[in-house]
Amino acid sequence: METFNKVMKKLNINKKTTENFIFQSLKTVLAIVIAYSIAFIVIYFVSDEPSQAIYWFVKGPFSSRMEFGEMIKKSIPLMFTGIAACVILKAKQFNLFTEGAFYVGGLVAALIAIYVKVPIFLAIPLALLGAGLASALIGYIPAKLKASLDVNEFVSSIMINFIVLWIGIWLISNVVIDVSSGDNATQIIPEAFRLKSIFSGTSITSGLIIVLIVIIFIKIFFSRTLLGYEIRMTGDNQAFAKHTGIHVKGRMVIAQTMGIFIAGVGGGVDILSHYTRFNWKTLPGFGFDGFMVAIIAKNKPLMIPFAALFFGYLRLGAELMAFNSDVAKEVVAIIQGIIILLVASERFFSSEFFKSWLERFKNRLKQEKKDVITHE
Amino acid sequence: MNHSILTMKNIKKTYYPDIIAVRQANFSLNMGEIHALAGENGAGKTTLMKILYGLEKADSGHIYMNQEKVSIQSPNDAMKHHIGMVHQHFMLVEDMTVADNIVLGMEPKHKGLYDYKKACEMTNSLSEKYAMDIDPEAKISDLTVGLKQKVEILKVLARDSKIIILDEPTAVLTPQETKELFHQLKLLKASNHTIIMITHKLREIKEICDRVTIMKSGQTLETYQVKDISIQDISKKMIGYDFEIKPIKSENKLGHNVLEIKNLSYRVQNKYLLKDINLTIKSGQILGVVGVEGNGQNILSKILKGDIVDYEGDIFINDKTIKGASIRDIRAQGLAFIPEDRMVDGVNLKSSILESSMVLKARQKAYQKGPFLNVKKLINFTKSLIDDYQIHCDSYRDSVHALSGGNIQKIVSAREISESEHLLIANQPTRGIDVGAVLSLHEKLKDLQNQGKAILLISSDLKEIYDLTQSVVVFYNGEIVARIDQINHVSEDQLGRYMLGIERQKSREGQ
Repeated sequence: METFNKVMKKLNINKKTTENFIFQSLKTVLAIVIAYSIAFIVIYFVSDEPSQAIYWFVKGPFSSRMEFGEMIKKSIPLMFTGIAACVILKAKQFNLFTEGAFYVGGLVAALIAIYVKVPIFLAIPLALLGAGLASALIGYIPAKLKASLDVNEFVSSIMINFIVLWIGIWLISNVVIDVSSGDNATQIIPEAFRLKSIFSGTSITSGLIIVLIVIIFIKIFFSRTLLGYEIRMTGDNQAFAKHTGIHVKGRMVIAQTMGIFIAGVGGGVDILSHYTRFNWKTLPGFGFDGFMVAIIAKNKPLMIPFAALFFGYLRLGAELMAFNSDVAKEVVAIIQGIIILLVASERFFSSEFFKSWLERFKNRLKQEKKDVITHE
Repeated sequence: MNHSILTMKNIKKTYYPDIIAVRQANFSLNMGEIHALAGENGAGKTTLMKILYGLEKADSGHIYMNQEKVSIQSPNDAMKHHIGMVHQHFMLVEDMTVADNIVLGMEPKHKGLYDYKKACEMTNSLSEKYAMDIDPEAKISDLTVGLKQKVEILKVLARDSKIIILDEPTAVLTPQETKELFHQLKLLKASNHTIIMITHKLREIKEICDRVTIMKSGQTLETYQVKDISIQDISKKMIGYDFEIKPIKSENKLGHNVLEIKNLSYRVQNKYLLKDINLTIKSGQILGVVGVEGNGQNILSKILKGDIVDYEGDIFINDKTIKGASIRDIRAQGLAFIPEDRMVDGVNLKSSILESSMVLKARQKAYQKGPFLNVKKLINFTKSLIDDYQIHCDSYRDSVHALSGGNIQKIVSAREISESEHLLIANQPTRGIDVGAVLSLHEKLKDLQNQGKAILLISSDLKEIYDLTQSVVVFYNGEIVARIDQINHVSEDQLGRYMLGIERQKSREGQ
């Protein structure tokens, strides 16, 4: 216990924050347990072989090296959009252009790869940087509209998502289309621009390393730099930020643009990792999911990878269940929805509710103790 | 006539965590009277009435109606007992019509659907009955303030209220509108309604009220028949306290002009909130700004801070104008600011003590290390503030949220005082904090003065003004009605008369 305390002290963690942390984690775990219980009940009713289905759902992602790799692969884009959402939410903004940014990032990275001739060592950095910058440039529009004209960024960013989607579809159907592909798709992305697998037997690419570096960078940015600190204060309490002379609007714009940039890079990483041509005809959905990842991670940068992994695990398990048992794909989607809804909305178990319950429980224990003593 | 219909006994209310709003209040209301509840701001008048209307819950004490104990937990309960309240800030839906607002929550139905025609009829018959002429189909946002107030009163009457609470009803009205309101109140009284009027305007008490109950720092003093008591006596009881004249006040040599305000005016839609303000503060001087709240002091502080920019006139800090400067720029010119609302403007409740304290230092090069913050230095700075101001906490990592109001105020003042290079503006710096904290804060302000800094002290606590300042300006209705150079030569009675607008300074006193 003493060594534990020493370690805590060294890590700069005091008792109150640890208690709070444990309490918060317990809430998340409880939400997951309830969600899974409901899922099991649903599976039990729709399946003739529920044990088989549940086995694949729960254990499937850990059944082989390949599947495990698949789980991590699925979570990488979510890590990108999760950390992107995290940056935006720190300033209390709801710029949903992370969704469109992922799309734009993929498109721009593919176009740079196909049409720009550069030395090999510059190829990938250039493509990803271009993906991020192009997205950030568009994401700046709703951010600036909010700051200057008080246009609700939530609405404007969703609209812009669809504008970029249709521009993208128009481009790959008319302008940069490669007819020989037999699809509305670009030409083949040159080998020099592809991100390679870093663990044999899996499809995990160096995108994992990139996103982890980004997450650590963001962690340091928020805890150690002036700009990160000012963005946090702005998000927590605008009146305070304004009173103390922080340029509130500027900080909001910066946070949004930064988040969008990261989402754009994420799109670039995704296209260079797993596609031979750019052929996306719908919004990928990762941008929206990113906000859920960030909320489950309690908006803490270092928790983002774990929250994203949980999503990857959930999705892969559901896919494996659909493949290996008689549970229909649609049911799998429903179960996924239930779990995500419950986990993401764990704020139902508001700390107030939970604490008052705990308090009552403690009081009852005390009362019983007292009773015992008086009886004696 | 003269029998009591409502009694409140031993009411007490403390706001979390340690701000006592109502210490001990007894209140009794007679059938068919207009009863004034008088007192300074923060005396607990509104809180006491909110308890009666079920908006706040008392910690202890009981309410009796017609000698029977009643429990009022919500405005719905209050309405059942025929009690209605018109708030100081109107609670109307701006986008709906007058009739919509009046029937809100008790809409007349026709075949299960909202019957707008009926609502208009109801409104018409109400306004005829009480002689309040108003168009039921007018949109609220198009109405003047006086008309909006009429809608509020009708709304209360539509719910069949017999006891009507009016919170500072004349605060927002022009003299003509006030006259009309009083006429209507008299009509209501004649039709057997009982009215409680929260106010600090003594003339109005004299003009329209039958009895007056005076509140002072959370306690009700006696209740008087208005015809038996003079305005001077009421004001004495409202503001008065024993104070001894302290002959020794740190006599400072005053230096150059630090703050200079020239012909400052500010108006919203032709109503002057500030008019022709001229002020200077020299280094080593504490200038007190007194006045009943809402007479322009807050507008002045907002302008100085940079929150309001579309003012007329000029403001100079060390001979440099602050017109068009951002808050950050104004602060960079050497101004620091203790805000009135410490919980919102003063600190970030979600952050740690460290994060709320370091905000002004973090942007300085000395507290940075390359691209990063010099966290060690910032922690040491915060620790020194905690020691210096005796902020009670376990460590600088504690959440601000867990601290008491007094400790939060210490964080705010510590941060701002440490950053006042030339000028400090302190807006109600000691409101609602305990005596010990007040004394230590006063010490700090005096230290600052001795260092040759200039301080603008806005306070409604006259004791504080007498303790700390020599020169004082009195605000009334957005204007400076008196300038006092030697506060010790002016009695608080006289000061009270300036504050309440009963008198205006003819010639300069105390010179």
